[in-house]
Amino acid sequence: MATTLRRSVAAVTLAMATTLGFAGLGLAKPVTDQDILNDAETTGDVLTYGLGTQGQRFSPLDLVNKETVKGLVPIWGFSFGGEKQRGQESQPLVVDGVMYVTGSYSRMWAIDVKTGKELWEYNHRLPDGIMPCCDVINRGAAVYGDKVYFGTLDAKVVALNRETGKVVWSKAIEDYKAGYSITNAPLVVNGMVITGIGGGEFGIVGKVYALDANTGEMKWIRPVIEGNVGTLDGKPSTMTGTKNASWQGDQWQTGGGGTWLGGTYDPKTGLLYYGTGNPSPWNSWLRPGDNLYSSSRLAIDPKTGEIKWSYQTTPHDGWDFDGVNELISFPLKGADGKTIDAAATADRNGFFFVLDRTTGKFISASPFVSRHDWAKGYDENGRPIYNTDFRPGDPAKGGGADGKGTSVFTAPSFLGGKNWMPMAYSQKTGLFYIPSNEWGMDIWNEPITYKKGAAYLGAGFTIKPLYQDHIGVLRAMDPATGKIKWEYKNHAPLWGGVLTTGGGLVFTGTPEGYLKAFDDETGEELWSFNTGSGVVASPITWDMDGEQYVAVVSGWGGAVPLWGGDVADFVKSFNQGGMLWVFKLPKKA
Amino acid sequence: MIARRALLAGMAGLAMGPRIGRAGPTPDDPLQSVNWGLMREAFLGDAPFVFDDKVSVTAPTSAEDAMQVPFLIDATRLSRVLRILVFADLNPINRILDFTPGRLAPVLAARFKIQQATPLRAAALDGQGRWHVGGLWIDAMGGGCTAPALAHGEADWTARLGETSVRVFDREGRKRIRLQIRHPMDTGLAAGIPAFFIEQLVLTDAAGEVLGELATSEPVSENPLFTFELPTALGLSEVGIRARDNNGNVFSRKVTL
Repeated sequence: MATTLRRSVAAVTLAMATTLGFAGLGLAKPVTDQDILNDAETTGDVLTYGLGTQGQRFSPLDLVNKETVKGLVPIWGFSFGGEKQRGQESQPLVVDGVMYVTGSYSRMWAIDVKTGKELWEYNHRLPDGIMPCCDVINRGAAVYGDKVYFGTLDAKVVALNRETGKVVWSKAIEDYKAGYSITNAPLVVNGMVITGIGGGEFGIVGKVYALDANTGEMKWIRPVIEGNVGTLDGKPSTMTGTKNASWQGDQWQTGGGGTWLGGTYDPKTGLLYYGTGNPSPWNSWLRPGDNLYSSSRLAIDPKTGEIKWSYQTTPHDGWDFDGVNELISFPLKGADGKTIDAAATADRNGFFFVLDRTTGKFISASPFVSRHDWAKGYDENGRPIYNTDFRPGDPAKGGGADGKGTSVFTAPSFLGGKNWMPMAYSQKTGLFYIPSNEWGMDIWNEPITYKKGAAYLGAGFTIKPLYQDHIGVLRAMDPATGKIKWEYKNHAPLWGGVLTTGGGLVFTGTPEGYLKAFDDETGEELWSFNTGSGVVASPITWDMDGEQYVAVVSGWGGAVPLWGGDVADFVKSFNQGGMLWVFKLPKKA
Repeated sequence: MIARRALLAGMAGLAMGPRIGRAGPTPDDPLQSVNWGLMREAFLGDAPFVFDDKVSVTAPTSAEDAMQVPFLIDATRLSRVLRILVFADLNPINRILDFTPGRLAPVLAARFKIQQATPLRAAALDGQGRWHVGGLWIDAMGGGCTAPALAHGEADWTARLGETSVRVFDREGRKRIRLQIRHPMDTGLAAGIPAFFIEQLVLTDAAGEVLGELATSEPVSENPLFTFELPTALGLSEVGIRARDNNGNVFSRKVTL
């Protein structure tokens, strides 16, 4: 408590100094590499996607806590306006009293956090031919120096001046016409803007890119599919993996592995952690082998872009278990009382993995959903024990109509036990809070050939709920035991990120429109607020002038209404939105 | 002392405040525009100015196409010109061009989008810090600023974005450079289309030194066409053209004279 109080006072002092020293001159205080690395500890700002580069989404703030949360009220709202009310999956940033928030259709706003007044808007001019698979969303910005960065649906990284919103530089990193797009929030490490890319449904090759934050110059590119060669300082660097070790022929050239969710960074190991998406095409019979490094977690050296280790959660994926899910660094307490530098990820395939984050060594895999038909579990080497009956049939063997293979019903569905929405790790309870979904799918394979810019699936599918009364389940997972400590069931699928705090709270949103707060030890719902449209974004919290604030973006959309099949019955009544909400406790008189 | 400072601050506050109730033509304005007072305040501030026929503005008296109204500004009859501002009193976005001729002649032709009948003005700043204002009325059916660019009828307007064509003419001791850049120049006023326009155009010599600079605003027409004149006496063999839009896209090319 004393530490938190001191931090609050320090934050207030800093905020005052900033107001006096910089705001008057119209100069933003530059954000440094050290500021970014300290973000998880500095409660007065939110400088990174994930409230810290490790992505724990934990704030030590405790002014809003289990006792006081019931008094939380909205203090201002901000409309994203226009006729562009589509899915809003953005996490805002807060820097020196200014909030930077991104919205659908590659837009960004700077807002005065005290009043909700707009300072500027940047509205990126998108071509008509953009091809985002899963709605025109954006997940957030990054800040560094006097600039704020975001990725656009036409595969550009744009650097804006934080004061004016004017473009400083803009870099097209791939050709949107081939299906590439950026929806992830960039990450800034050592003066570089690091981003992934989407397009796994179009036979692209997923890559991780590092650009000079000041100039936009490309420092390195790391393709994540074996056989492809990276670059360093504009020259070819090394090949990813060994060509044709786990792919046949030239399939690695259109092998997928989108890095569309972005990554995390651990200062202790000095490694970037990136998840990689499903291999292309979905029809696994066309690409025998493990298909490295699709559906994997990669540790990458930020200096060179070299892969330091990899772990594949779904070798030879046949279900679109697009394992980009965030890998969150945390201290794992072993049975012997020793602490391991570990990291955890909750995969699309329904398993929660704990890895040694220094070496990538497999520690455990525990299911976090009620059904995981495709695999019985994992062996001690971290390889899945497949249930072969649950892989859709080979079209060459027939069984389906019109040259299709036999269809299977399997869970989780391709939208995953957990999709993009980030989980949170509490330093207070040592638990992970996972936004998960209970759904299965009928899936069948069919022949397909690659064509630039066209969907490259070779599969048909329809999603079905597993239970009548709920799809979404927020679960508290103990990473040491793999046991679920509590769960909260939600009627519609959960699609928003999670935040946990030193006040013993777990915040997340629901497509029904509520931002909710739960008791971190029991899962009891303590507070909720109806934002008017579905919440499918990640909440944040910070403190300012001795008060704690909570913010979340509201706006129904994302992949579920586009791909959800029979789930439509659960979500069809939800209305569109595009609104930022900010909450705090009323001031004592 | 303190009182005086407060008084000064108060006056400054007044000067910066909202421009309410200042409408109506001023007797000196030859065009008798209701917005001249506001234009003067916005573009010339407190600087001295004179209405002056030496700044010639040539344009059709009635706009045939509200999205492409050609005009020619010629301030060569002034002895020295540091800057030329071009604006339309009654357009929803007033500023069209802000030209710093540098080593170029104070001559400029372009096209703009007209929303309703409006004065089109050019204000040229001389070496003594005095503005010379010329202009004329252009009649129009209107709507040029709020209609979507024609490019949006194409399947993919990005395919030729930034393509630049240039022609050079010899003309009485000057080289005339006419250039056109493919760009939708979206004003942000057409429903559902964000502002997307070239903000800056720079002409450089072979060494990369700036010859002249043009700041361009939303009302400049789609696929903007610009004409500049360069004194032949400069003896230049090559000119570089660099344009940048508000999304940070940069288009550049060189032209041999």
